[in-house]
Amino acid sequence: MTYDFQFGYIVDTMPALLDGLLITIEVSVISIAISVVIGIVGAAIRLFEIPVLSQVVGGYVHFIRSTPLLPQIYFVFYGFSGLGLQLSTFWSGVLALSLWGGAYNIENVRGGFLAVSKGLREAAGSLAFRPIHYLWLVALPLGVRISLPTMLNTAVSVLKNSAYLQAIGLAELTFVAMDRVALDFRILEMFAAIGVLYLGIVLILSLFVRRLEGVLQRPFRTS
Amino acid sequence: MDNGTAMISVEGLSKWFGPFAALKDIDLKVDRGEKIVICGPSGSGKSTLVRCLNGLEDHQSGRITVAGLEVMNDRRRLEQVRLKVGMVFQNFNLFPQMTVLRNLTVGQTWILRKSQRDAEALAFEYLEKVRIPEQAHKYPSQLSGGQQQRVAIARSLCMQPEVMLFDEPTSALDPEMVKEVLGTMTELAGSGMTMVCVTHEMGFARQVADRIVFMDEGRIVEEAPPAQFFQAPRSRRAATFLKQVLQHHTAMAEA
Ligand SMILES: Nc1ncnc2c1ncn2[C@@H]1O[C@H](COP(=O)(O)OP(=O)(O)OP(=O)(O)O)[C@@H](O)[C@H]1O
Ligand SMILES: [Mg+2]
Repeated sequence: MTYDFQFGYIVDTMPALLDGLLITIEVSVISIAISVVIGIVGAAIRLFEIPVLSQVVGGYVHFIRSTPLLPQIYFVFYGFSGLGLQLSTFWSGVLALSLWGGAYNIENVRGGFLAVSKGLREAAGSLAFRPIHYLWLVALPLGVRISLPTMLNTAVSVLKNSAYLQAIGLAELTFVAMDRVALDFRILEMFAAIGVLYLGIVLILSLFVRRLEGVLQRPFRTS
Repeated sequence: MDNGTAMISVEGLSKWFGPFAALKDIDLKVDRGEKIVICGPSGSGKSTLVRCLNGLEDHQSGRITVAGLEVMNDRRRLEQVRLKVGMVFQNFNLFPQMTVLRNLTVGQTWILRKSQRDAEALAFEYLEKVRIPEQAHKYPSQLSGGQQQRVAIARSLCMQPEVMLFDEPTSALDPEMVKEVLGTMTELAGSGMTMVCVTHEMGFARQVADRIVFMDEGRIVEEAPPAQFFQAPRSRRAATFLKQVLQHHTAMAEA
């Protein structure tokens, strides 16, 4: 028996899928933005070796990177409400993904900071720059450029990992698709549809970062 | 205490990198307006010494005073010291993402809190002095090494320091560019700046230095006016060193 692939089914379910896609995009974009901020702040704390905070950041990064994401999501969803912090499903998802992506971005940005030559830091120091001046005027503009490709990887991972949020009942794209599969068993149609949709947004995200890289490289043009 | 004219005073300075003693019991006085050239074989501690003067390197014992401030491992104090001390590096270390002009104004506006207008005016004044005002809107990577080093000198001068430190400012340059940078430094010397230069450019040393400080193995072995140092070095190590440097220069000239 051959599978009877029905395009019509995809068309019919598209409004529901697009609702899911919208949630996926919302949760991902917010999480990516927060994870970038966490990355920059965390990497700056590591860069200047701020006592205590630096160790806390190191521990946090280590913890996130050496435990699976799914229990992290459960921990935020159930654990935080147990601690009296009431978050909606959506914001629990945002928090979990942000913490996860933030840990990776700390390492990404830190790599960028370390790639900025020691000489520039000494030059900045010799001009009586304070650490905050060095960070803002030298380390960030140069380091973030260097770490953009790895930050893009992390952003794409955050986007893909938003699918795990179905585990806490967030009606994102994968959740919607699985829901339809359970109702109608049109497995191939659903996976083809969400496959294309995920590919599409990852592509858009990548193009956006390429553009950004292009803009940021402009000052270095030598011609 | 010491006489009032000392711009830099180093007393009993020692510095270790782990177990390795890079500087051993250094004493050095530099008067206001004086020009010092530090030379010596590789690894003798020249860079370490000048880097101690503005606190880029920490020291373990001894006392360093620059422009009336004791150099201590304290962030605020180091900022105060560095406001008075400019430094020029072998590799220029210009900020690559900023134009030449912004390299010269960024410290003035952010650290000295000057207006953009005043900062640019002073920047152009110094760009004229180092003879590259036409490069103001280019990026460092678009300039030759010699031009970049002159921008680096101008960048330091824009902070209006009382002392300028140079750590082998011409060793990364092609021979034809060495001259233009030494020219800039010679003019700066003429303006009365207090200068401490690590360099192997003996022609410059002869012409500009008030005193040559010769270092070996972390110690100051000899300190003398250039005429005396070049004609009759007292120590054998200085004599050997001079012979090598001069041979090297002759070889370079013949090449
Ligand atoms: N960060 C460091 N850690 C360990 N040892 C160091 C460090 N910096 C310098 N040294 C050592 O200290 C000694 C003096 O170094 P320094 O760079 O001051 O020499 P120098 O006279 O400037 O030599 P050169 O002419 O090669 O620049 C060298 O033996 C060097 O290996
Ligand atoms: Mg050196």
